[in-house]
Amino acid sequence: MTVPASPTRRKRSSLLCFRQQVPHSASLLAALLGAAVFLGGWQLLVELRVVAPVFLPPPLKVAQTFIHMSVDGSMLPNTLVSIRRVWLAFLISALLAVPLGILMSGYRIIGATFEPMIDFIRYLPVPALVPLAIIWFGVGETTKIFLLWLGTFFQLVLMVAADMKRIPNEYFETAYTLGARPRQTLLPVALPAMLPQLMDSMRISLGWCWTYVIIAEIVASDSGLGFVIWTARRFMKTDQVMAGVIMIGLIGLVTDQCLRLLHRKLFRYQ
Amino acid sequence: MEQLSSYLQFHDVTKFFGDVPVVQQPFNLAVPAGQFVVFLGPSGCGKTTLMRMIGGLDTPSSGEILLQGMPVGAPDIRRGMVFQSYSSFPWLTVRKNIEFGMRFRRDLSAAQKKERAEYFLKLVGLTDFAKSYPSRISGGMRQRVAIARTLAADPDVLLMDEPFGALDANLREDLQFELRKIQKNSGKTTIFVTHDVEEAVFLADRIIVFGPRPARVIADVDVISLIGSERNENVRDSERFFHLRTEILHLLRGRDAKKSAAA
Ligand SMILES: Nc1ncnc2c1ncn2[C@@H]1O[C@H](COP(=O)(O)OP(=O)(O)O)[C@@H](O)[C@H]1O
Ligand SMILES: [Mg+2]
Repeated sequence: MTVPASPTRRKRSSLLCFRQQVPHSASLLAALLGAAVFLGGWQLLVELRVVAPVFLPPPLKVAQTFIHMSVDGSMLPNTLVSIRRVWLAFLISALLAVPLGILMSGYRIIGATFEPMIDFIRYLPVPALVPLAIIWFGVGETTKIFLLWLGTFFQLVLMVAADMKRIPNEYFETAYTLGARPRQTLLPVALPAMLPQLMDSMRISLGWCWTYVIIAEIVASDSGLGFVIWTARRFMKTDQVMAGVIMIGLIGLVTDQCLRLLHRKLFRYQ
Repeated sequence: MEQLSSYLQFHDVTKFFGDVPVVQQPFNLAVPAGQFVVFLGPSGCGKTTLMRMIGGLDTPSSGEILLQGMPVGAPDIRRGMVFQSYSSFPWLTVRKNIEFGMRFRRDLSAAQKKERAEYFLKLVGLTDFAKSYPSRISGGMRQRVAIARTLAADPDVLLMDEPFGALDANLREDLQFELRKIQKNSGKTTIFVTHDVEEAVFLADRIIVFGPRPARVIADVDVISLIGSERNENVRDSERFFHLRTEILHLLRGRDAKKSAAA
């Protein structure tokens, strides 16, 4: 649906046109070019000794380290540890937040009971709660899961409640006039109606889990990607720090793309 | 098919939202079983509110609504409603949407439900689209899905709130024709809300014409006695149809037309 723009004045080949489509191949090329310029500039900066490699290792060196660490077993086991923590905490959060969010939105009185409290708690920054978590749970696995849960659960509850609120009333009222009691609409109407939104909310909160797992692992851990990064920092191994960061980015990217794909497959009816 | 002898009655019904009167003068109406009644009036005059009260989706501020002599309460399967928008469930196929209409019926076996779903798919001409999702079919088909779903639930009263309001003119006329036929064949007592005069005249056995808010009945028109009960495209072009339409238009514009139409 392109708006016909006065073709006599503007050449069709111009790529720099305001709010107009450009060919897919051009977008791809532009993205690759952008990345190449960025990486090339970075490499050049170090080659020309503008910055010391100990502060900014060149991209090729980082790539080398990344592969090396992946092979020698210093990265992958720690990556798995982090992934496990993220998913465990995320699943606990989601399993609690989805029913509570739906109930809070479905029944005003339940919403009134929990909403002010949750609104307060969700503004507490997770790092500020690290000391308390360590006092309560020590430096073991529980602390990390607790911190991740803390960082996601309260946000997610409110998002679930909002997703539920957004369901058009007509869906419920239709079901009532087909003989459903309000409670009987939760599973066959409310859940499928909000599911596309709900999955997006969960995808977003999974992203937050990754932020918090690194904080938790930096502060109190002897395993995980946060630990890898923090240890490398102590020995000024900037290339290893960067390799760790890139791993986090890659996992985030892959997870996000997978979930988006799943979303498209599941909700093809939209 | 099933023909329950229903009888729907408004008895001195008023409705206020807070202090805002929507139905201020006590509203009274008796609908015999099987009648096709159209509520016609300008936007915001309270038609939807009156209909929602039949469905139990709103409650009267005073007075009561009786179905077969019994006051109606919370919504249930006896009063099925078809909405203008969000009328079908987008996550269910056409067939599943229609089957949903029987989801809360305990009196039917799974096999009977399947069979009925098939019957209503055919009735509304959607057999070929049984496996399609609502987003893949036209707006008119979506409204047919909603009508079939409600009929499958077998309500005593069929409530329709401007169900064809979002459709273009040609499609509307086709659906009006089909609906009128389906309603006569099923014998369901039907309340249909619209602000479109032609739609009202074509569909109705009887039109309740409302003035601007708060709801006030300005005419109770016996359409059958004026243009007969047979409705097809010829009727739409007939002089009687045209006359009645014009007369009601004048009523709505507040002109003091000769009340030959008002019963
Ligand atoms: N839930 C509500 N709360 C307050 N006012 C309402 C509510 N529902 C409807 N109204 C008001 O009542 C009047 C009649 O509405 P409605 O029955 O929808 O009219 P119609 O269907 O004839 O267009 C409108 O002015 C509308 O703003
Ligand atoms: Mg309305």
